Amino acid sequence: MEELDIEKELAKFEAEQRAALGLGSEQKEHWTDEMVDPFFSAKQKAHTEILVGGLTMAHDYLVEGGLSGLGYTVRSLDCPDTKALRFGKEFGNRGQCNPTYFTVGNLVKELCRLRDEEGMTAEHIIEHYVFLTAGACGPCRFGMYVTEYRKALRDAGFDGFRVLLFQQTGGLKQASGEELGLKLDPTFFVTIGQCLFAGDILNLLSYRVRPYEVQEGATDRAFAAAKKEVYDALAKRGSILMALWRARKHFAGVEVDKLRAKPSVAVLGEFWAMTTEGDGNYHLQRFLEQEGAEVSIQVIANLLLYNLWEFRHDTKARMKLKGADGGNFGLKDSDVGLTLAGLYLGEMALRAWWQGWAHLTGLNAHHLPDMDLVAQAGHSFYNQELRGGEGHMEVAKLILNVVKNKAHMTLSVKPFGCMPSSGVSDGVQSVVTERYPDAIFCAVETSGDGAVNFYSRVQMFLFKARQRAQAEYEQALAEAGVTEDEIRAFVKGTRYASPFFKPPHHHAGTGADFVRHVGPLVKAGRLGRAKIHATRFAASVKNAVTKDLPASYGRLREVAPYLPALVRYVGVEARDYLPVIQEGLEKMVEGVIKPNDEEQQAIDRAEEATSMMPPQPVRAPAASLPVMA
Amino acid sequence: MSKPIVIGMDVGSTTVKACVVDPESKEILWHDYERHHTKQPEKVLEFLIRIGQAFPEVAREDVRLFITGSGGGPLATPTGAKFVQEVNAVTLAVETLHPDAGSVIELGGQDAKIIIFKEGENGDKTASCSMNDKCASGTGATIDKCMIKVGMPPAETVKLHFDDSKLHHVAAKCGVFAETDIVNLVKTGIPSTEILCSLADAIVMQNLSVLTRGNTLKPKVLLLGGPNTYLPFLQECWRKRIPEIWEERGFDYPKDVPLEELIPVPQNAELYAAYGAVMYGLHEPAEVGAYLGLRDLERYITEGRKERLGESAGPPLATDQSELSEFIEAYRIPKFEQAVFSPGQTVRAVIGLDGGSTSSKAVLLSEEGEVLRKAYTLSKGNPIQDTKDLLRELRDGVRADGAELEVLGFGATGYAADVLEETVMADVNIVETVAHMMSATHFFGDIDVICDIGGQDIKVLFMENGDIKSFKLSNQCSAGNGMLLQAMADQFGLPVTKYAETAFQAELAPKFSYGCAVFLDTDRVNFQKEGFSKEELLAGLAQVLPKNVWQYVVGVPRLAALGRKFVLQGGTQYNMAAVKAQVDYIKERVPGAEVYVHPHSGEAGAIGAAMETLRVVKRKGKSRFVGVDAAIDLEYTTKNDEETVCHFCPNECSRTFIDAFRPDGSTARYISGFSCEKGTVESKEAMIELVRERKAIMKEFPNLVHYEALKAFQKQKDLDAMPEAGAPTEDVEVKQTFWGQIKHEKIQRGFERAPSEIYEQRRRWRLGMPRVLNMYSTGPFWMAYFQSLGVDPRNIVWSDESGEEMFAEGGKYGSVDPCYPSKVAQAHFHNLFFKHHEEKPLDAIFFPILTHVPCFIEHAVDHTSCPIVAGTPDVMKAAFTKEQDFFATRGITYYDPSISFVEKVRMKRVLFETFQQALDLTEDESNFAVDQAFEALERYDQDVQAKGKAILEQVEYENRVAILMIGRPYHLDPGLHHGIPDEFQVLGYPILSIRSIPKDHDWLRRFFQKDLDEGVIQTPLDINDVWPENYSANSAMKVWATKFAARHPNVVLLDVSSFKCGHDAPTFGIIDRIVEKSAVPYSALHDLDANKPGGSIKIRVKTYAHSLKLHEERLEDIAKKKDELSRRIDEKRLELLRMKQEQLASLKRRDPALEQQIDEVTARLSAYVRDADPDKDAREKAQKGLIKLGKKTADGGLVRV
Repeated sequence: MEELDIEKELAKFEAEQRAALGLGSEQKEHWTDEMVDPFFSAKQKAHTEILVGGLTMAHDYLVEGGLSGLGYTVRSLDCPDTKALRFGKEFGNRGQCNPTYFTVGNLVKELCRLRDEEGMTAEHIIEHYVFLTAGACGPCRFGMYVTEYRKALRDAGFDGFRVLLFQQTGGLKQASGEELGLKLDPTFFVTIGQCLFAGDILNLLSYRVRPYEVQEGATDRAFAAAKKEVYDALAKRGSILMALWRARKHFAGVEVDKLRAKPSVAVLGEFWAMTTEGDGNYHLQRFLEQEGAEVSIQVIANLLLYNLWEFRHDTKARMKLKGADGGNFGLKDSDVGLTLAGLYLGEMALRAWWQGWAHLTGLNAHHLPDMDLVAQAGHSFYNQELRGGEGHMEVAKLILNVVKNKAHMTLSVKPFGCMPSSGVSDGVQSVVTERYPDAIFCAVETSGDGAVNFYSRVQMFLFKARQRAQAEYEQALAEAGVTEDEIRAFVKGTRYASPFFKPPHHHAGTGADFVRHVGPLVKAGRLGRAKIHATRFAASVKNAVTKDLPASYGRLREVAPYLPALVRYVGVEARDYLPVIQEGLEKMVEGVIKPNDEEQQAIDRAEEATSMMPPQPVRAPAASLPVMA
Repeated sequence: MSKPIVIGMDVGSTTVKACVVDPESKEILWHDYERHHTKQPEKVLEFLIRIGQAFPEVAREDVRLFITGSGGGPLATPTGAKFVQEVNAVTLAVETLHPDAGSVIELGGQDAKIIIFKEGENGDKTASCSMNDKCASGTGATIDKCMIKVGMPPAETVKLHFDDSKLHHVAAKCGVFAETDIVNLVKTGIPSTEILCSLADAIVMQNLSVLTRGNTLKPKVLLLGGPNTYLPFLQECWRKRIPEIWEERGFDYPKDVPLEELIPVPQNAELYAAYGAVMYGLHEPAEVGAYLGLRDLERYITEGRKERLGESAGPPLATDQSELSEFIEAYRIPKFEQAVFSPGQTVRAVIGLDGGSTSSKAVLLSEEGEVLRKAYTLSKGNPIQDTKDLLRELRDGVRADGAELEVLGFGATGYAADVLEETVMADVNIVETVAHMMSATHFFGDIDVICDIGGQDIKVLFMENGDIKSFKLSNQCSAGNGMLLQAMADQFGLPVTKYAETAFQAELAPKFSYGCAVFLDTDRVNFQKEGFSKEELLAGLAQVLPKNVWQYVVGVPRLAALGRKFVLQGGTQYNMAAVKAQVDYIKERVPGAEVYVHPHSGEAGAIGAAMETLRVVKRKGKSRFVGVDAAIDLEYTTKNDEETVCHFCPNECSRTFIDAFRPDGSTARYISGFSCEKGTVESKEAMIELVRERKAIMKEFPNLVHYEALKAFQKQKDLDAMPEAGAPTEDVEVKQTFWGQIKHEKIQRGFERAPSEIYEQRRRWRLGMPRVLNMYSTGPFWMAYFQSLGVDPRNIVWSDESGEEMFAEGGKYGSVDPCYPSKVAQAHFHNLFFKHHEEKPLDAIFFPILTHVPCFIEHAVDHTSCPIVAGTPDVMKAAFTKEQDFFATRGITYYDPSISFVEKVRMKRVLFETFQQALDLTEDESNFAVDQAFEALERYDQDVQAKGKAILEQVEYENRVAILMIGRPYHLDPGLHHGIPDEFQVLGYPILSIRSIPKDHDWLRRFFQKDLDEGVIQTPLDINDVWPENYSANSAMKVWATKFAARHPNVVLLDVSSFKCGHDAPTFGIIDRIVEKSAVPYSALHDLDANKPGGSIKIRVKTYAHSLKLHEERLEDIAKKKDELSRRIDEKRLELLRMKQEQLASLKRRDPALEQQIDEVTARLSAYVRDADPDKDAREKAQKGLIKLGKKTADGGLVRV
């Protein structure tokens, strides 16, 4: 007789009874986000297109070139427009800030276009596309964009679409295991750096030249051609240096007239609002230029320098503590010497790289900000530990613009409801403008709808800035004792007529600086000019000795204790970068000796022609000469 | 050559102003001012023609034109004019005409501007200007609209004088809120003079507190713009409030100069912008602004505008006539035919009544549920009179047919229901949402979504099994409601009944962005300037309505997830343009959607009440209704005089008492006209009684939100004494190696302590701290830190709790307009300066920048604070040191160091460095105090959690629910949560806070076991399964609490969130998903702001209470079934055990364990029989609610009384 298994019988009975009583299982289902660990494997690389976007149009375009040079299929999205905003608002959470709506909406808009206009199924899109974007970890909402991407994509019918997060700090956050589709090796980071820096420099150059162009549209044509040069070099893994040199030539052809009293407007504010060039800020930069202003933009290198500074500041503020804290800023398990050495080296490398390229491209006398000075300027008003958005930079830059006479007007643009900028910086700026009553400071919010009030506000302040620029310019002319026509006649054909000529900074306006620098030369005669040049040279030497040298010495003293660690750093960390550096050098040499497409065609033609001729004694081919010119 | 002239033209949002100036003498030769009725170009053309006629001798070449104003931009090109920015124009005019002016306040149609002249270092005067952002009202348009609502003729308004003796609450923050308040004041019978003075005061205070950006207006203060020029009461209000601020801020103004001279309204003030445009033009080169004549402008009016529209516009409401006719055929609400009765017939029916905010409706419903008759009246602010009128209409209507009405029962819903339940003994008093649900299910059966769009609010109900599963109600904002469409129709002088007909004529429609009604109005003005016609604008607005409903109010983009069957109801559904937009929107997003329009859209509430009455009366077999005749004859008295004024706060609301007589002769009082619940009581004694009753209930049903807020700022007990000097203590030496590494070496040494006289000084040191933001989650820490250092707890002063009065007094310093929780901080500083410091001087104010806050979430990216909240201490420093240093002038030192609760070592260093000098501290003392503070914070946590645990176990034992309020720490502040948790508490629900949920892993494991087993989380306090970007500590804790509630059978959610909360916004979607999947009852009050949304709270509380009642019933059912299940299992077990016993017996074996089991199960089964006794329910009921805090069993578990 089989022994009775009571528990088994009871389990069966319980199931029956549960059903009879309508009790069902007691385990409730709970929601978990299935999209949090997007995986993009190496196997998928061949059939996957990476979508990028979110910076200026130049940057996005160059990142597309850079990544395609690394073997990826990449496409940059269009600049977000109001249609993107509508998508963002429909599928995003209520009460978000505009950059979230614009950027998230822009991706959804593109995916909907693929689905609705190109007839792809949602499954196909999810399988064949990924989106790569920057991330952060607070404190403002920027770090939560990816939450919003997931929500919007899910709600728009693209559940499972992969958003890869290239974090500002800490590399790419992605599941590990199988080989990754996106290889985050030093080559990747160096390439991204190249794209960002080249984008910065070309943007700056175009904003510097455009307000003074004689023929309307010349700068835009040069800018487009220059971007194409760099894009091609990135995409074909050619020499960026040569591409920048060729870009310089495109700009060199733009005829300029610097004798214009243009108000200089420094655009600050929330990062996205001040960076985008479309509906997200009502085409602010173009609007300002149309209103007769010269726009001074912020570059991405500044943000990178700020990140390095932050890291350095955090480390130095904690290294003398009686213990090491955990958390994201504490020094627990951290090798302070190595960290600081790496940061000093990183900053030096970044500055040298960026400035070198800038000089090569013709962006003369543009200095990346001294972050210690920026921090010092802002700290008493805006605590450095408040890291949101631009951090203390927004406040500090306004102060420096006034104190150092860097711009006639400072325009801080922020999206409606921006937490750090509208909620904190603007509050603090009210006391800054009280302390610096000469500041022309305009804080404007973009809400994404209705440009009339926005423009009206900007115009209100621009009027004052224009008056100030005009007065400054007229005063410079009066002091120089020359007329505009006299200067114009004088500069014709000289280096002063070059679009790359940047007069030394004294006034806020370029025109006034130009007059101040060139004006005295006009009537001085040959001897007089020599004397002026000599005096100026002496002054610059004096400046170098009394200011630059002590500053460099001070910096050296600061870095000196970390020199042993620097050696260690190079030994430990920088080895990874050696192949990239080597590759870069090879590319550079190759770029110098290797002809570009046009030149290659000339060579081919020449070779073809020579092949028709009877054999000649061997000598260097003439067609290779233009490469060196 | 003729004598040249310069024209200045100011094209505003409502008027065009023009002046002709002689460029040499700068004299005005001609001027005029007219409303343009949205036809700006036409009016400009008319003005130019008239100017031409007035100056026939001037040749066109000698005319220059400068144009300004919000509508001026597009007209510059066709006229040849140069556009001048408005504020620049006004500034130049003022500089020319009033060199001694210190500031200017200009109120325009759509915007308000304040200009303050400042003297720069070089002595130059620069003007600093601010304009209202889109939100702010206080502009001419709002005043215009409100004056129409008040109904005072313009001739009288110009005679009105400002009187601040009887002011009422008007929310001037937003034009729509202001209008709503005005309408309510009108309805409650407040005299129009009082209303207008209240409006003026609200507008003036709004502008002074927001638009000045915390700056002080300097005399002379010029008042410009239409409203300032024409409304003496507004001028007088400025002249009253501005000097008050001067006095308060200690600003030295010339007191011997009459106020009319200090704050003057110049002659022709409306012309300043136009005149200023001319002044601007005179600075420009001669060729600028050369007038082109009329031809291009005429062409612009006829063709130019239209040309530019095509690309920016979207499709019309219907592509062709056949689509439209088909739609109208399918969706038109059939015309209601009132039932006809035959003479002598007895009509047996119930009456349902819906006393709405703007109108009241009643229906007569037959026993079979058929709608026989309807009646409608616009609300007159007296629900009893409205009811009497409606009942009379129904009764007399039936009698007119010669029939007799026999009312079987009477039910009411809406704001009148409470008073009707008492006076006419209504059978039913149900909340509107439930009434709407009943009505919709009656007509359409099993439906998924009911969308009710009324005059003032939007209710969307999500259904499951024929009952409300969850719901969303609009906040105070009127985006998308009937009032919006009404207002838009009004703008074009159209009756709302003509709306659809007009909108369907459009061939294209501008694309509006969804959002607030004020924003939409701004867009409307912009589109109008671009040249869209009224047909097109109305079509565009109809199209934005569904977006406002589904995206803005409901916030659910995945409509398909809600279901397939949608019912549209509410008065707005009579507007076919709105219905078309809704139907198209839903059908586009929900495949196979069925959308129905309720056949009695406007009366859905009344029908629901009638349906419920029918059910109740049938079940009870009788009605308690006094009868229709008695109800019509109901006597009542109204009183509105000095006696009825509410004195419980400085608002001094003028109330109306409506006393109706109950059938037993006693009176029921209905009080209208108050703006807060204090007004619901008539005397101080009654107030005390109300408070006593509430307290009694509160004691019975604990409110941990209240408890936590109280405990956060109390004196700390159980602190250890500071060690004596020289007591052995551990320290660390920090060294850096050659390679740059840091080494820490522990050393032993004696404790360093300040001498005793320093302690005496510390004891007397008086410190103020604002009771705001994250001080709510760290309060015990700061109390303990300063107490440990020897500061007398009585000298540690917290500002008072936030409140409307406090904000009204101290909310004028801010230069930014962030969320209310951080904005209110300025009022707390004001409170510390002007109340606490004046009572006894403060030595210091401490308000740390808390970058990282205490947080229990594990495996989180970080524990950061919100950037606005963290930055507020710096904003406060700016606000109170900007023009004058409020700290220095009072001898107060302000400390706002940045502190991170994630880095204890660093925190110790920062606190020591901050207070070293002021308190003569040694580092050892400060470090010891920090350790004590952490312990105090831990004790606070444990205390609150123990109470939470007791409640949770009690409600689970009793199959009841507890409400978990999820919000940010500062939502513990009654001024921020507006008493919402208390409303639920008095209904008998215990209230839990996030802190009160036990965080003990072992205790929590039960709820998270499945997730732990599946490996989606590492610990019960991990939220990476739902939100990996969890660095915002307070948001992360809110998400965790939602997860907990989703897993605890007896916890339901109440979500509170403040307007503009940037860190809550990303969590909305996550919380929605968690709640939706687990089906945990959930109610949200988002967008909370300074003013208490009384009506909105009431309807939510009532609707949620309805859902909770059903939920509790379900819990009880499940518990009963579970009991039944265990009984059946035990019976089965006994049966099986006995079988086994027999099996063994047949084998001649015995198993003592088996026999013991049989005894145990038999005993358990007999206990079931005992439990089934009839008195058990009664006994259990008596125990309900008897949770008493502080009493717990030894193991900290269940509390039984």
